[in-house]
Amino acid sequence: MTRILTGGVGKVEVAETVKKLSLDGVHVAVSSDMDAAMKLRAGQADYYLGTCHTGAGASLGVLLGLMGSAACHTFGRSVPTEDEVSALIGDGKKVFGFGMDQIDAVTPVVARAIAAHGA
Amino acid sequence: MSGNITAAAAGSTDLGLSLPQQLTVIALCALTAFVSHLALAVFNDGVRPFMLDFIQGRTTRSATTAVSFGLSAGFIFGLGAPMALSTGVLNPWLLFLPTDILGILSPKKWLAPVLGAAWGAVVVFGLNGANSLAHDLPVDFLTAMQQMSTPILFLFTLFPVLAITKQFGTLRGGIAGVVELVLVVATMKLWPNVFAGAVAMAVGVLMLIAFAVSKDLRQRRAEQAERAANGDGTAEQAAGDDDPTASLFSASATRLRKHLPLFMLLGAGVCLLAQMHVLGGGEATSFLIAKGDYSGAAQVDFYRVFGFVPLIATTALASGAYGIVGFTLVYPIGYLLPSPWLALMCGALVFAAEVLALSWIGRVLGRLPSVRDSSEHLRGAISESLRLAILFGSLMAADAMGGGLGILIVGGLYLLNEAMGRVVVRMAAAPAAVIVGGIVLNVLYWLDLFIPVKS
Repeated sequence: MTRILTGGVGKVEVAETVKKLSLDGVHVAVSSDMDAAMKLRAGQADYYLGTCHTGAGASLGVLLGLMGSAACHTFGRSVPTEDEVSALIGDGKKVFGFGMDQIDAVTPVVARAIAAHGA
Repeated sequence: MSGNITAAAAGSTDLGLSLPQQLTVIALCALTAFVSHLALAVFNDGVRPFMLDFIQGRTTRSATTAVSFGLSAGFIFGLGAPMALSTGVLNPWLLFLPTDILGILSPKKWLAPVLGAAWGAVVVFGLNGANSLAHDLPVDFLTAMQQMSTPILFLFTLFPVLAITKQFGTLRGGIAGVVELVLVVATMKLWPNVFAGAVAMAVGVLMLIAFAVSKDLRQRRAEQAERAANGDGTAEQAAGDDDPTASLFSASATRLRKHLPLFMLLGAGVCLLAQMHVLGGGEATSFLIAKGDYSGAAQVDFYRVFGFVPLIATTALASGAYGIVGFTLVYPIGYLLPSPWLALMCGALVFAAEVLALSWIGRVLGRLPSVRDSSEHLRGAISESLRLAILFGSLMAADAMGGGLGILIVGGLYLLNEAMGRVVVRMAAAPAAVIVGGIVLNVLYWLDLFIPVKS
């Protein structure tokens, strides 16, 4: 079971988008940045998806501080491909930030890549 | 009523800064670029988290500059510049996002304030030139942009209702909506000179905070009861888990406290600019300042503070870099103060208090998850209400400057941006489209293909 937490301004929308995909072996829950950082460190969660205006500030702030930049990645304003996300996951990234006006476009790509990686 | 707005606009969009005001803008830009160079504060909340790696030497100056530029450019050209042009009032996106970039960019310490001052000069003199040039064009798109103020001001009033609905459900959201609507109608009837949304917004924000605090207190009581039932083991474990946050946060707070005098200078400068009524802090505020409604502007920015305190506090504590305008509290204070000297003093004191209270605020927020949640919902609601308001206002501006053809060009550019995956930030796309549309219409006029709409 791969556990994804969502946080930031669009956390509810992101969680709903992931749920609608009904991916096998993926569990998603709405969280907050601080709780998510604690759970990721303790191994109680696997990935974090954060959203804000720029795709980097509120979405990643606390996570960058507590998890280190090696575990974090922001797509900023670009929409990645599933291969790009897979490569990032392969590099050990667990925390992804993106713009709240691109939730529809980015969330499915990232969630599918996470599901493929977990399988 | 629209006649009134246009009449007021004709006088106010002229960016007639006095010499002391021009010098203040230039000096403050020099200071903010210097502070950004030292990685002590940046305006863009999105850049702040990246400052930790920079401060600790894990990333280079040029890489951080690239991040800062990438995250700020859209807001400078799409939001800051069009807002300043259409209102004749400066805003933090136009002033401080570029000084973020210039400060980080500077390889030498002395170069940062020089570049910052140069940007301040470009804004002060360039904006004035662009402003009068644009007003003299056959199709005056700046006056048309005044159309945006009504939808922005009135839809902004609803942001607490949206936040309450998202966080606490339809019933409470609906109640808040009815309460706000009643208050807006009552304000219009009873105090026609007060901005209609002011009281409604105050009550809406207070309702949201009350809901959040009571939820947190209930939850804490439940947890305590559970812990008492389970013995003390879980409590100790929870304290152990908190440790990395605590040590990271306290290191950042100490770093910022060490530079207290510089922050006090910064607070004094921002507060002074707000006191001079040449700066509008929030999206809706510039329009109120342009109309001379300073108490309305102070109220709007004061309620906005609640959406930003947790964000700024947590990113500052996690990264070790503070916000250029702090918790944004100096804006409303500045608008209301009667004298510049008082503004300098209050700005410095407010910033000192903010920096000193930072780690305490971080601890309190750690214990109030619903309040932090509310702040996220508030920011989401602000952008949600402004998205519709800015789009609608931009189409009204398009209609004012070019009728159906104007709507086609501006609306078309907006839709095109959506179709291309939002190259320009959504919030900024419509105002940017108005400016592009205005230029296109002027070109069409010169080619004898378009006759300006007379209002």
